[in-house]
Amino acid sequence: MSRTELWESRPLRSKPPESKPRDSKPRKRKGRTLLRMPSVWIALAILLGVAVLTVFGSTLAPQNPLTINANALFQGPGAHHLLGTDYLGRDVLSRLMAGTRLSVLTALEAVGIGLVLGTIPGVATVFLGRGFDFAANRVTDALMTLPYIFFAVAVTAALGNGLVQAMVPVGILLAPFFFRITRAATLEHARAQYVEAAELMGASKLHVVRVHVLRKVLPTIAVTTASMTAAALLAVSFLTFLGIGVQPPAPTWGGVLSSDLDYLNQAPWAPFIPGLLIAVTVGALNALADAFRDRRTPGMLAVPEPLIRTHSTLEPADDDRQSQVA
Amino acid sequence: MTVTSLPRTAGATAPRRRRSRIVLARLGGGLAVLLPIVLISTFISYSLGALSNSDPAATILGQDAATPAAVARLNRALGLNHPLIVQYWNWLTQALHGNLGRSYFSQIPVAQSIGQRLPVDLSIAVLAIILAVIIGGGAGTLAAVYRGSWFDRGVTLACSAASTLPAFVVGIILVVLFAVTAHLLPANGYVGPSTSVPQWLAHIILPALALSLAVSADVARQLRTSLVEVLEQNYIVGAKVRGLPYRRVLVRHALRNAAGPALTILGNDFPLMLAGAVAAEAVFSLPGLGQLLLESAQTRDIPVVQGLLLVVSSFVIVVNLIVNVTLNWLYRTDDGIGT
Repeated sequence: MSRTELWESRPLRSKPPESKPRDSKPRKRKGRTLLRMPSVWIALAILLGVAVLTVFGSTLAPQNPLTINANALFQGPGAHHLLGTDYLGRDVLSRLMAGTRLSVLTALEAVGIGLVLGTIPGVATVFLGRGFDFAANRVTDALMTLPYIFFAVAVTAALGNGLVQAMVPVGILLAPFFFRITRAATLEHARAQYVEAAELMGASKLHVVRVHVLRKVLPTIAVTTASMTAAALLAVSFLTFLGIGVQPPAPTWGGVLSSDLDYLNQAPWAPFIPGLLIAVTVGALNALADAFRDRRTPGMLAVPEPLIRTHSTLEPADDDRQSQVA
Repeated sequence: MTVTSLPRTAGATAPRRRRSRIVLARLGGGLAVLLPIVLISTFISYSLGALSNSDPAATILGQDAATPAAVARLNRALGLNHPLIVQYWNWLTQALHGNLGRSYFSQIPVAQSIGQRLPVDLSIAVLAIILAVIIGGGAGTLAAVYRGSWFDRGVTLACSAASTLPAFVVGIILVVLFAVTAHLLPANGYVGPSTSVPQWLAHIILPALALSLAVSADVARQLRTSLVEVLEQNYIVGAKVRGLPYRRVLVRHALRNAAGPALTILGNDFPLMLAGAVAAEAVFSLPGLGQLLLESAQTRDIPVVQGLLLVVSSFVIVVNLIVNVTLNWLYRTDDGIGT
């Protein structure tokens, strides 16, 4: 197959219909092409659904997620229980709906911590000189060597068993990703000629950051936020799957999965339901991030940066290469 | 270094004195970067214990025997009366000698209980890396060679799907498919390789597969992208025009130049694989480091938790150093220094 065929098979790159009048505002048109992509629509619809469940999940649930029914154990999906029942006869659909709030809110907690701890130093490091930059990069590298699950479980050992506590270290460990991407994107714009011109005209650093840099960096941060939310959701469901931070009767996505695991012989289909719910939500967030990224750098996959950069940060020339990637 | 050991294209090399200076500067620069990383990450691991609001002396002695005098004596014996930074330094120097302290509860040396469980995670992780290289590398290479074909699209789709599935979900699906439904492989447990190698493989293949899937997807995606780019370069076309066999061009010329990003992502995903190993241990009930971590977190056995964090982050650092050295070797230039 030729390259041109491949080119045309992507909806994003298909030419706009010629009968349409030329759009005078390019930024508006970009937004519309993004919304025209079916994957973006589907992803947004899924995320809207999850958002509704987060707010109203426990009130919308058809049955009490904690009611035990000894006469209806391990029922398959049916009219009375849409997604079946678990080993205590509890309604799986209700448990998943009621469990959404804790999972989503703690994921957002971690992303919020990572966003604040990562992006602020990420922007600041460009303007605070080489010493701060070196120190911030070493801390970032060190944090990247700590696997988040081990760290999260270890923190529950120190601070007590709770999902809110457990997600603080996850947020801290998400910060390096925000930091690196924000730093690279800020470098790219902070060294542009128009910024130099603005500085020559007497603009203060704060003005440059606020007007010139932050506005350009925000889309990059948005993409990272989407993919980091996906990572945080995986972390939450993993931690609840391990039983970290949840008192047993309370429903969570990972908790439903882990109780299904003990009864695979009775109900081998059961784990697919929470598994699919997690996968679909994570997939929607990833699809959204991919669509945004693809619009900015079509067809390109960013060259990954090594976890530990043995000498790249010591060479100033490398900064330019990194900024091209981001 | 003798003249004969210089590369053949000696005209392009830097003068020997400058070269050794560059190499020394690289080594020094590498250490300047690495040492803070090791110190910071170990300090974070250690200071978690100080964050803890539990009182180890009271825990060890029990409610009745915990008189103030006894507590003070035990704190002195454990070295807990020193400032945090001194405690950290003592702990680190002891750790370098292989002594990670003793568990508060069982009094078993931490290094011993970690050493007992390490082979489980090590076999799963190594097998998972091998599987990720084979599956991800194979799929990525074939997708790039037959780019635009149905196979390529299938790989792209499979990669998107695989990266949304966490290791514990994949593990459960594999258990349902291969153990519960088909009865082909054991669903849980672990057998050491010294007992029976086939049994060992049968017990670790499903966990390894579960945690290699997401990594394979990342490797395949990176390799496909960079290989497609390399295959369109002039030197590949030139090599083909000169009549070199395609397989040789692909392996010697294209893959060597395209492998960098895939290798980098393999190193980047290593912490993810360790998390996956914890998941695999939970799903397949293996007696590994993750189980030890969960147990010691529940009982607040701080020395065990600190030791585990140290061992795990050391593994991440070592694996990524190996990746960096390999990357330098891949991208080596004629002066033998690398980029």
